[in-house]
Amino acid sequence: MLRFSCLVFSRGAARRFASSFSSETALPPNLRLPSNLVDPDRLRRPPPPEDSSLPLIRKCDAALPAHLSPVRTWVDTLESKDSEPLGLTELHPDVFAVSPRLDILHAVETWQRNYKRISHANTKVRSEVRGGGRKPWNQKGSGRARHGSIRSPLWRGGGVSHGPRGPKSYYYMLPMKVRVQGLKVALSSKMAQQYLHVVDSLNIPTPDSQYLLELIRSRHWGESVLLVDVSEEFPENILQATENLKTVNLIPAIGLNVHSMLKHEAVILTLDTVRFLEEKLLWHDERYTFLYPLKLPYSDFP
Amino acid sequence: MKRISSCSMYKMSVRLLTLRALRGAPGLCRRTPAVTGGFRAAYSAATRDQRSVITESTDEYKFVERLIPPTRIPDPPKHVGVAPSGWIPPAESPPPLPYMIRRSRMHNIPVYSDLTHGNRRLTLVRKVEGDIWALEKDVREYLRQVTGKELPTQVNEVTMTLKVKGHFEQELKDWLASKGF
Repeated sequence: MLRFSCLVFSRGAARRFASSFSSETALPPNLRLPSNLVDPDRLRRPPPPEDSSLPLIRKCDAALPAHLSPVRTWVDTLESKDSEPLGLTELHPDVFAVSPRLDILHAVETWQRNYKRISHANTKVRSEVRGGGRKPWNQKGSGRARHGSIRSPLWRGGGVSHGPRGPKSYYYMLPMKVRVQGLKVALSSKMAQQYLHVVDSLNIPTPDSQYLLELIRSRHWGESVLLVDVSEEFPENILQATENLKTVNLIPAIGLNVHSMLKHEAVILTLDTVRFLEEKLLWHDERYTFLYPLKLPYSDFP
Repeated sequence: MKRISSCSMYKMSVRLLTLRALRGAPGLCRRTPAVTGGFRAAYSAATRDQRSVITESTDEYKFVERLIPPTRIPDPPKHVGVAPSGWIPPAESPPPLPYMIRRSRMHNIPVYSDLTHGNRRLTLVRKVEGDIWALEKDVREYLRQVTGKELPTQVNEVTMTLKVKGHFEQELKDWLASKGF
């Protein structure tokens, strides 16, 4: 037994010695990424150069901090499959280029999953199980162990002593600013990984799902696409096209959330959505603490 | 003897009281005719006039609107040099350093002192962008000149904050303001 265990441990030691003799740059196995993680076709289009000939369609409305410059991206169109970008747009760095706080993303994602959760798991306690009011046999004299009821947790068919008790809610709220920062971090991460695309509007020529799928495949956007527009009324064509598609989904801008952004590979925003998001998300950086709930009137809040 | 019921007596007294109160507040009531004889007739005529011409105006709502508070924090007024309260405005252009420290939403320098466990003193510098290690080096150098001691510091690269042991809030605020942050 001792000889067997020595053999096993020495085998492991040999492997460990081998890794210490190898080069310093060898990554440990838990940090090695698979080589097919990033689609190289997606990264083939670089961000727009400084001297691009395309027109700048939109500049940032809000004041930029002096030490940051806006992020520039292409503005595409969904009208035809192989079309050149329409122009460029500037995105505010405080929304689309914040530092990638993965801890905030994790916190917001777990909050989104759990705050709606109500677990209905319930077990009966010894007092709730049917029966078990009478002492089964005398305390002394029968030779068996002493018991007070046949439904105690020791017994088969008895109650559960420390089981789940009734509907339990996992509701909690993260601070508003943390949730807002989560949205900004998610948008910035998508931007940095080139999964975020800006489109002039969501008008497509045909209500055909195949057209959309071929467009997405030709532009190498990814497996799943989230289309975001400001208004809650979408054009008929895109509604019909995305109705039967599982991986291509539409949401209004007020419904944008971290979980949806992480679930879909590509996020497509329209120019109006970009304006709406910048206005709403930047307001939180320069607002007072609320005196009273937002349902009551404020002078510069709609 | 005319029998005046208590109900009508009450109504008359109410009308008398209200009209007297109205007459006391100028600009709110119309000029009532002189009350000598025809007491009741004059009063009923006055109330009929008032009841028939009632104007609704929403102009006075501006007095309510100007009391409703705003949500956005305004930009501070332009001061040349230091403001009378001691507030130092940030420089027009950011200083040419590898790091940047933004102002808080109330336009102050984000340096805060902390006291935990009754005796643990910390100074926290928040809202750092850029090379935080260069800032840490500069802060350690500056505090060594000020105090003569090597103070332990902690850099958090995830939250981009810098903690220094000891209370140096005012010194760090003055130093950062002099740099132009």
